[in-house]
This record gives sequence, structure tokens and C-alpha cells, in this order.
Amino acid sequence: MFMNIKNLQFTYPKSPLKTVDDFSFAVEKGEVISILGRSGSGKSTLLRLIAGLEMPLGGSFTLNGKKMFCDQTFLQPEKRGIGMVFQDYALFPHMSVEDNVLFGLPKMSKKDKNKRVQEVLELVELTGFEKRYPHQLSGGQQQRVALARAMAPEPELILLDEPFSNLDTDLQVKIREDLRRILKKAKTTAIFVTHNQNDAHALADRIVKIKDGKIDKIGRPCDLLGVSPTEIPGMVEITYEELIGV
Amino acid sequence: MNKYLANVNGWSIAAVLIIIVLFLPNMSIVIGIFSPASENWAHIKEFMLLNYIKSTLTLVFFTALFTIAIGLSLAWLIAQYNFPLRNFMKWALILPLSIPPFIGAYTYHGIINYTGVIQKTLRNHFDIVVNPAYFDIMNVPGAIFIYTLFLYPYVYMITRIFLSHQSASLIESARTLGKGPLEIFFRVVIPISRVSIIGGASLVVLEVLNDYGVVKYFGIQTFSTAIFQTWFGLGDLESSIKLAASLMGIVIFILMIERLLRGRKQYSYSTTKVRPLPLVKLTGKRAVFATLYTVVIFSVAFFIPTLQLIDWVILTFGKVPMQDVLLYTKNSVIVAGLGAFLIIVFSLVVGNFSRVVNHKFAKVLPKLTVLGYSIPGVVVAVAVITTFIALDRFFAPVYQYFGIDSELVLSVNLFMLISAYIIRFFAIGYNSIESGFDKIGTDFRDASRMLGANSLRTFFRVDVPMMKGAIISGFILVFVDILKEIPLTLILRPFNYDTLATKAFQYASDEKIMEASQASLLIVGVSTIAIFVFHKLLREERE
Amino acid sequence: MKKSLYIIVVAMMLILAACGSTTKKESGTDTDSASKKTEKAEVNLYTSRHYDVDNELYKKFEQETGIKVNVIKDEADVLIERIKREGTATKADILLTADVGRLYRAKEDGLLQTVSSDILSKQIPENLRDVDDMWVGLTKRARILVYNKDKVKPEELSTYEALTEDKWKSRVLVRSSESVYNQSLLASFIEINGEEKAKEWAQGIVNNFAQNPEGGDRDQAKAIAAGIGDVAIMNSYYFGQMLNSTEPEEVKVAENLGVFFPNQETTGTHVNISGAGVIKGSKNAENAVKLLEFLTGEEAQGEFASANYEFPVNENVEPSELLKSWGDFKEQDIPLSTLGENNAKAIMIFNEVGWK
Repeated sequence: MFMNIKNLQFTYPKSPLKTVDDFSFAVEKGEVISILGRSGSGKSTLLRLIAGLEMPLGGSFTLNGKKMFCDQTFLQPEKRGIGMVFQDYALFPHMSVEDNVLFGLPKMSKKDKNKRVQEVLELVELTGFEKRYPHQLSGGQQQRVALARAMAPEPELILLDEPFSNLDTDLQVKIREDLRRILKKAKTTAIFVTHNQNDAHALADRIVKIKDGKIDKIGRPCDLLGVSPTEIPGMVEITYEELIGV
Repeated sequence: MNKYLANVNGWSIAAVLIIIVLFLPNMSIVIGIFSPASENWAHIKEFMLLNYIKSTLTLVFFTALFTIAIGLSLAWLIAQYNFPLRNFMKWALILPLSIPPFIGAYTYHGIINYTGVIQKTLRNHFDIVVNPAYFDIMNVPGAIFIYTLFLYPYVYMITRIFLSHQSASLIESARTLGKGPLEIFFRVVIPISRVSIIGGASLVVLEVLNDYGVVKYFGIQTFSTAIFQTWFGLGDLESSIKLAASLMGIVIFILMIERLLRGRKQYSYSTTKVRPLPLVKLTGKRAVFATLYTVVIFSVAFFIPTLQLIDWVILTFGKVPMQDVLLYTKNSVIVAGLGAFLIIVFSLVVGNFSRVVNHKFAKVLPKLTVLGYSIPGVVVAVAVITTFIALDRFFAPVYQYFGIDSELVLSVNLFMLISAYIIRFFAIGYNSIESGFDKIGTDFRDASRMLGANSLRTFFRVDVPMMKGAIISGFILVFVDILKEIPLTLILRPFNYDTLATKAFQYASDEKIMEASQASLLIVGVSTIAIFVFHKLLREERE
Repeated sequence: MKKSLYIIVVAMMLILAACGSTTKKESGTDTDSASKKTEKAEVNLYTSRHYDVDNELYKKFEQETGIKVNVIKDEADVLIERIKREGTATKADILLTADVGRLYRAKEDGLLQTVSSDILSKQIPENLRDVDDMWVGLTKRARILVYNKDKVKPEELSTYEALTEDKWKSRVLVRSSESVYNQSLLASFIEINGEEKAKEWAQGIVNNFAQNPEGGDRDQAKAIAAGIGDVAIMNSYYFGQMLNSTEPEEVKVAENLGVFFPNQETTGTHVNISGAGVIKGSKNAENAVKLLEFLTGEEAQGEFASANYEFPVNENVEPSELLKSWGDFKEQDIPLSTLGENNAKAIMIFNEVGWK
């Protein structure tokens, strides 16, 4: 398997319950995975563990044959070759769009760098915005810059934390279509976390439902959620909370 | 895998070392609390302590109250409204910080005493002889007046930065709920800026606690007086260190209350979308009132005393040796600049450590360095001397190896003085840096690391540029504080090393306030330039 | 482990070297002359006097002898503490204070050494030198009374003790007990009249306060002018400075006041000295003695008298015209070291009677 997680354990200090409890999971190259769960279910923590931003208490994780962590090793996040789009994007406010994207590029000639910036900006359809600063962009544009920035170094895996939570509903639909197109075009393996089953449905090849830090169900969107509610005329959107909230 | 061990790297080693070094001298004072009571202790307790604590608490309470009232109201006016002179007042209202309180005390007394300009003019030109009782500021209310005037900028500065950057959405939502300005002020502004108000006010309280110059001149007996009487008068340094240690105890208590007050309600928005508060333009009477209010405060706290200093400089011109003035100014700028620079660098190291480790211990420990700021400088000086002489003894074999034929090396040059500044003023710089780290949160750092940048690159490319405001304001605060520092500078400087502050003290301590005006005015001048540059830098950054 | 310690040491040495070089550059002094092969003639002074005239005299000394005078100025007690902690390694050669009590304290702490110099013995009267020759006086200041010429006739004044009488109720001005000059005044009374009498005196003065003590010595004189009180206890040299102030109003105030030397018929006016001692283990003891000889010599004494309105200790030197105009006066005849001995007791009495 391209990415392999085994028996992942994690607890926040002073928390009585395990935040992530014996989590095992595998992903194939190029897959888009959605982790679906209500807030507090441990889904964001899971993402941070994969990224290397939190240190697990136990378990192992390999990506493309490289050990990310196991009993003896812990690879620092900057060494993992994983990209991440943060919930509120975390675009560096003191850098222009171009500089934000350039930031993550490995050592290469200036010409190559500029070429790569153009490529990813084209991919997210933001050519011409190079010199803008983040605060001069709309929410949707910021999100796309964040995506471009994360993809620029060609990470082996890209993580997205609630990528649509800060966007208007109208925009959400459009953007998640864009996102799937971009990811697929670049053949990037991606894991994104969401609490909204429509997002999961529209984007993912596979969905992992988690509950209390454990895997509840894994499966294809149509198996897990049935037909997307938005595809049935007259049906209102319901969130995951409402779906399983009973 | 141990989470904390995994964080051990050069960075945390440096941070822990810094904290330990900052603590050593303070620890030597804290230990003093356990020393056995001397025969003087009963006397100290009966005749000094109880009475003195009362006046100390009075000074602290009212100074805190008034500095908050003035500092907060000014911060609110400047942060939310536009009125004539606002852009000037925005930075000018920080300027009173450049006048050392004891110089302010001498100056105000000089203005209003019998031979001062007011009574003099009334007497000689209008033949009016006033009741001197109305012109007496050498009492507790007078000291509160002086402290309030020259310390309120701490509250103003910290609260204003908070209000203009952090409060937009809250205040706007209050406005849309149909609340009037007064109601917004009391029901929204005060509660949300509580943390910065307390932050500023605790600096004020610490300054009042450690001050000796004003109360000595005014003849007010405070805790500092007790410390000095015991040492200088009774010749009992042990007891005076014991007193200082108890003062530290009080400060720890205050800090704990601050923590408690702050509680979990940390109004820190680590969202990446911080938006400045748009200004409301005032017109008519309201504009006149706003301008008048700021002008009055500015005049009383800065313009009038400065004018008096200028007057005295002219009066004593040619009677005070001037040939070395440039040298003193240069010395002052060098020690203040070097001290402030190192404090900011250390604060960044420790602040980053505290943020990364994210353990209670790493959060609280740096806070305790504020202890060095709470007690009179001379007591800190003794602790520093003791530590450095011990260090010199420890390094004696090394000195010999290098062929240095002296037992005292560290303790006889600028190294000791600069270190003492760092020990004393670290808390000031750290406060600023810590709030900077708080403000940017950890998302940007995480983002940077996810883009392949290691912690060093992240630090220089992301953290430092994003914290430029906090870094500059921390630097300026420390710089101005060191510029006016006296007790440490006096005893810890190398031979023949004079600064503006020691020069001002030299004359003022001999009741020659007019002769002291030259050096004092230069302190004010250098600080003013520093504050102005700071203002410019911050503005450019925003544009 | 050892390696890291070594690295720390080297790093510290580097910082130190950097600091050391700036010190030298900035102050133009050489604090560690030992590192140079040739001994440079110098003398290191810890002083609590901070007058411009002192600096000028040091410069003059330097020109005459080629001995460089290095100075650190601070409060005497802080300086004493620093010398104590530096121990035998101290760089200080001379401790100079503005109060004999502090010299006594330094001597008690074993910080001073005996100095034998015929020149010093000749220039300074015996009563202004330590019995063991561990310190010498440099200048004298008298604690005098000044009074409102309009309201007080000089005949009404007699002694410090008389100020405790009822007729002076709410008329006496004096600064706070934190002032070392008041402490040594009371210390002298403890020596002369005994502790009980001294306490009665302090209590009597407190009862007659015109206002709570505030401000410095000059402020007491101004308070007379402002009509708050009629008679003030203050130092002679502050009064001299007021008469020569740059602020014309201060001169006016001083001119309207009379000067009175109390206790002329009885125990004499209280006198304190500025003095100096050579530090035990001083590495430049010879130079130190030379400096003391210079400072008590006629030229320097003349400077002290004229620039600072202090009374010279060298009997060959006349006080300044102004001081002379106040006439000769009888001084307290007690060993000066008793001022130091009784200092702590004096403070306790002040606290007990509530003299702020």
C-alpha cells in the first residue's frame, strides 16, 4: 500500500479518553479519502498526527515505503513531504501570493521556481494574482492559494482540514468540484477532514467515518451514504450530525 | 516515545539556560526569606513594616486605578475615533514614558514650589501670595499623581494595540445591536480588553513597588523605604533582603491573582483574519472634547515638564560641564540598545520554546522572571554582584589559563551591567514577545513546517516578520526603560563609565535639579526619537 | 558533558572579550591593565560624593602626578557591599563617602587599612582622623539652623534642644529621618546626652513639626519662605548653594533667612565630615595615599571650600568668604566614629517616635 497506518494511538494531556484509539488504515496512490466525523471525534487530531504536528503515543506510519514514525523514529513534519491546507488557510499575511507559493519550493533555479508557481496558480485559476496579498483576496481565492501553496512542492500526500468550512454555501459546491478536478488532474493522494457528508460524498473516493477516535465505517460514498442528497431534487442538505445524531 | 524528550534540541537547551541564568540572582534573594531573623527584625516589624505596607498599598491601588482610567480611555479614543490631532496623539501619548518618575517628581515640585514658576509669577507680578498647602505635592496623593502621569502609557500602549487589532468584529456587532458608545465602552471594551489592561497595569504596579526615587524625595514611607532603611540605616543587609524577598512573595501573589482574573477567558483570536477597527469620525463638540482631553493629558504628562526642563537647561547653561555630554549620550544609547536587543533575542528564544513545548511549566517559568522587576534595583544589583563574583571565582582557572592576571574579570566590565539589565527588564520584553506569539498562534508555524521549512527557517521567515510589531514595541519599551534606569547602572558600571541617567542622578541626588535638567532632557530627547522611529516603523509595516 | 562545559566557557570568554573591548573603547579606561605588561599608574576610587569639583580635582591630580583616577560613584552602602563581596580581589583602592558613619561601618567590616603618612597627619587635625588612621576627613559640613528674619530674633535661638520647647510648636522644619545628616545628628546626641535624652529630643522635635517631613534640605528653607514654619535644621553647604543658586528666587529666599550656629554655649554645633579610607589589600595603596594627600592639601581644600561651600579640614586653608561671614563656631567635641556607632540606634529612635 502507498500509505499505511497501524495501531495509531494518541491522547491529549489530561484527557481521560483516548483521542485516537488504535487506528489502522491504508490508502492507495492517487486516492482521495474523506474522514468524516462530528466535531470532537478526533478527526482533526488524526490529520495532525499524519502531518507530524502531534506526536503519537504508539503505532506506526509509512508513506511510499518511507517510515514516518514507529517505535524508534519520528520524522519531523518538514521532512515528510506532506502538504497541508489549513482550516483557515494560514496564508502568510506578510507575503504576496507568489511568495507564499514560493515558500515551500525546494532548492532549484529561480527560473524553475517561477515556472512552478505559474503552473500551480494556473491549476487553481489564479494567474495574475501573484502580487496580491492574502487580505486582498476573497475567501474562495484564499482557499485556492492555500491549495496551490500546499501542492507546489509536489507532496506525496496532501491533507485538507475542513477545507470548505469558511466558505459560503454557493461557493462550497463550486469549489469542491474544482478541488476534485485539481486533485485528480495532479494525481495527488489526498486526505481531507470534514463534518459535512455532502462534501465527503462529492469529493471522496472512499470515506472513513470515525467516532470517538475509532473507525466506525469505511466504504465508497454511495455505499456509505447512498445517493448524494443534493442530487435528488427538492431534498435539503443535511449534515452528518443530523444524519447520525438520531 | 516521550513527548517532552523529543522536544529537546538546541533551542530548548538555550531557552532553559537563559531562564536559569535569569533566575540565579533572583533565587539568591528568594533564599533570603529563609534566613534567620536578626535582632533588628522585631523592630522592623513593629515600626516599619505594618505602617509602610499601608502606604504602599494605597499608592499601588490608586496608581493602578488612575493609570487604567486614563490609559484605557485614551486607548479607546485613539483606537476607535478620528478627531483633530489624533494621528499625532497616537504616538505622542506614549512619550511620558520617557520621563523617569523621579525626574518628573523633582520637576513638578520645581514648578509648583515656593520658588517655582507658578508661585514666583503670582508673587512677583500679581502680588498674590498663595496658601502653600495648595501647592504641596510631596505627599501620597502627589506621588500617585506623579506615578499616574508617567506610567499610564504602559496601559495605553498595550490596550490600544489590542483594541485596534483584535476587537473589530466584537465592537461592530455591539454597534449593530444598537448600543451607544458609552454602553459599548463599559459592556464590551472593558471586558474584552481585560487581559491587556491587567498586563499594562501590572507593569505599572511593579514600577511603583520598585521605585525608591519618588517616595524618598517626597518623604513617603513605603516598602522600598523599609528595605533601604534596614540596609543603609541599620546596616542590616540580610534583613533588607528578607524584606525584598517578602515583596517578591507579594508579587507572586499578585501574579497569581492576575492568572486567576485572566482565568480561561483568554480573548485571543488566533484566526488568521485579524482586521483593523475602522475609525469613526467625530465632529462638533465631541471632536473638541476628544482633542481637548488628549491635549490636556499630553501637556500635563509630557509637555509641561519638558518645557520646565528646557527652561532649566537654559538657566544653567554654561554652569554645567558639557564637554562629555556626547559621550554620555553615546554610552546610554549603547547600553540601552545592546540590552534591549539581547532581551528581545532571549525573549524570542524563550517565547518560542514556551510555545512549542506547550507545557504548563514552560508557560509559567518565564513569567516568574518578572520577579526581578518587582523589587528595588539596588537589591537586584547586590544579587547580581554576588552571582558574578561567584562566577569569576568559578572561572578563575580559566582566566589563569589565558594569562589574565586578575581574579575579577566578568564583574568589572560592561558584561555584568548588561546582564543585570537583562535580568531586570526581561519581563518587559518577554511580555511583548509572548503576546506577539499568542497573536499569531501556531497555525502559521505549522503551515511553514508542512511546506518543508525547519524550525529555524520558520522562525526567521515566518515568526519574526509576522511579529515585527511585537518585536519593535518590546524593544522600545526595554530601550526606554534602560535609558532611565539608575540603581543598577550606578553600581554595576565599569570605572569612569557615565550615562545620561547616572549624570541626572548625580545632580538630582544633591538637590541640584536644575543642573540635572541637561541630562534629563537628553534622556527625554533620545526616548522621544526612539518612540517616534518605532511609530514610523509600525506604520510602514501596516501600509 | 565536559566538552559542552568547555564550549560554554569559551563562548563566555568570547562575549566577555567583546564586552571588554567595548568598555575600553567607550570609557577610555583600562580596567584590566594587568593584561598589559607595563603597570600603568592608577588609583581606583569608589565614591559616594558626586560633585563636579571632585572630578576637576581628580583631573588636576592626574596632571600633576600622572596617576590616573578611575571612579565609580554610588551610594556609600552599596559601594561598601560591593567591596565586601569582591573580597580580596577588589579593584577598589579608596572608599570616599559623604558621611563618617559609613567610614566607620567600612572600618568595622574590616575593609580599610591603616595609613601612615606624615603629610596626612600634618594636614588634618587629629579629631578628624580615625584613631587607627584607617580614614581621614576631607571636608566638614555643619548642621545649622536657618530662620525667618521677620518672625524670629536670633536671641530666641540657642540650642538644638531648645527647639523642643512649646514656643516652637508647629514652627520647626526638618527633612525626613531617611537623611543621613539627621541620623548622624541624632547619633551625636546619643553620644553626648545618652539614649533617653536623645529620644526625648527627637520626640520633642516631632511634636513641634510645622509639617510632615518632606523634600530635601533646600526645601526646608523654602518652606520658611512660604510661611509654613519659622526655623529649619539644614546643612551649611546646601544653604551656601542656595545663596549662589542659578535661580534668582532661591537666592532671594536664602537672603531672607538668618544663619544660626546652635549650641555655641553648650556642646557645640553638629559637624559631619566627608572622608576617605584606603581599602585593605589595595593594589595601588601608594597612589591612594598620594591622592588623599592631594585632596587634603591646600590647593584642593581651597577648591572644596569655594566651589562647594564646605568647611576645609586643613587648618591652613581659610573657608570661603561666605562661610567666613558666618563667623567662627564651636564644633561638637566627640569622636566622629561615634556617629557611625550610634547610627542604627538613631534610626530606631526615629522610627519609635514617628519621625517620618
